[in-house]
Amino acid sequence: MTADINRDGGAPGEAPSAGNEPNRQRSAEFFAVLHDPAAAPSRHESARDGLVHLHLPLVQHCARRFRNRGEPYEDLVQVGTIGLLKSIDHFDAERGVEFSTYATPTIIGEIKRHFRDKGWAIRVPRRLQELRMQIGAATGELTQDLGRSPTPRELAGRIGCTVEEVIEGLESNNAYATLSLDAGDDHEDSATRLLDRLGADDEHLEHVEVRESIKPLLDALEPREKKILLLRFFKNMTQSQIAEEIGVSQMHVSRLLTRTLAQLRESLHDTA
Amino acid sequence: MSSTGSITDGRRADVELRLPADSAYVSVLRTTTAGLAARLDFTIDDIEDLRIAVGEACAMVLPDADPGSPLLAEFFLAPSLLTVRVTVGGSEIGKPDYDSFAWQVLDTLASSASAEVDGDTFVVTLTMEAETLELRL
Repeated sequence: MTADINRDGGAPGEAPSAGNEPNRQRSAEFFAVLHDPAAAPSRHESARDGLVHLHLPLVQHCARRFRNRGEPYEDLVQVGTIGLLKSIDHFDAERGVEFSTYATPTIIGEIKRHFRDKGWAIRVPRRLQELRMQIGAATGELTQDLGRSPTPRELAGRIGCTVEEVIEGLESNNAYATLSLDAGDDHEDSATRLLDRLGADDEHLEHVEVRESIKPLLDALEPREKKILLLRFFKNMTQSQIAEEIGVSQMHVSRLLTRTLAQLRESLHDTA
Repeated sequence: MSSTGSITDGRRADVELRLPADSAYVSVLRTTTAGLAARLDFTIDDIEDLRIAVGEACAMVLPDADPGSPLLAEFFLAPSLLTVRVTVGGSEIGKPDYDSFAWQVLDTLASSASAEVDGDTFVVTLTMEAETLELRL
């Protein structure tokens, strides 16, 4: 599949999924079923499923072009898939064009719409959103031409609007894309978020100290009390089970435990 | 930290802006700065630097401002040169902290910057020179 993508390169009409003949044929077969009014509804459904699976790589291919723009790759694939579903439902096989040719603009359109609708922290007027995109494009071109970043006046000249409007457009930049500070860097595994990678004190470290200081105290306990503690907290037995094991009443076990723990706590405080 | 005195001394600011000394108003100051710089033909990179520098200047002076007191921002305009001076009044102003993050950023971004405490006022001045376009062309 990778080879297909490389070969098809930047040509937007070429689809990696239907780039080879068997896929193209399967796609046509599925559509034949889908558009056959005589076919059972269940066959329609499975043909539609088959088409989705067959063309998912096309969606991934499109979504990959929009990576590193601040939206998670998985989200782009998801909205792109909506575009794929729409294309499958609206595709007219009799027009004689490849499905991928028809689907690609729809998928990309859906992804772009996602950026337009979801990427903005504040609802910015459409006019400004478009101006912002124009500014972005013109900035790139002018930076190339001039060898430095352009001034708002130069941008206005290139776009054909006023300096005022450019300033307004630049301001609206600040309303764009407030991704969570916690968002991942969208590499291979975008599931790891910043928070997940921050270090924290290991809570077990604290326990080392407690454990070390409690050791001599445990050794100083009566053998029976020590045994009860071990059964309760190391073997996780209930008080009733311990009572049976030692041959005293459960009430007694409870009293002994409470007393031993209080004693331990007290001596721990004294030594500290 | 070179002297910006030559631009500001004895001259009245071309633009003055008095705001509540509250971080909520810093964005207004940043926007004003960007608007002025755009009219002086600064490049958008420089404008962005200026926005950040002004924000950091405020970050330096605002913690020392007395509650309810104003923040005065003065702009001195010259061809491809913009000087911004922010002043607050406070009863307990320490020395400017040259190790602070705000100062480090400010000093890096601005062509020159200075921070002065004079009695009960705290003044941070920064000057941005536009990239001299002629040299590059």
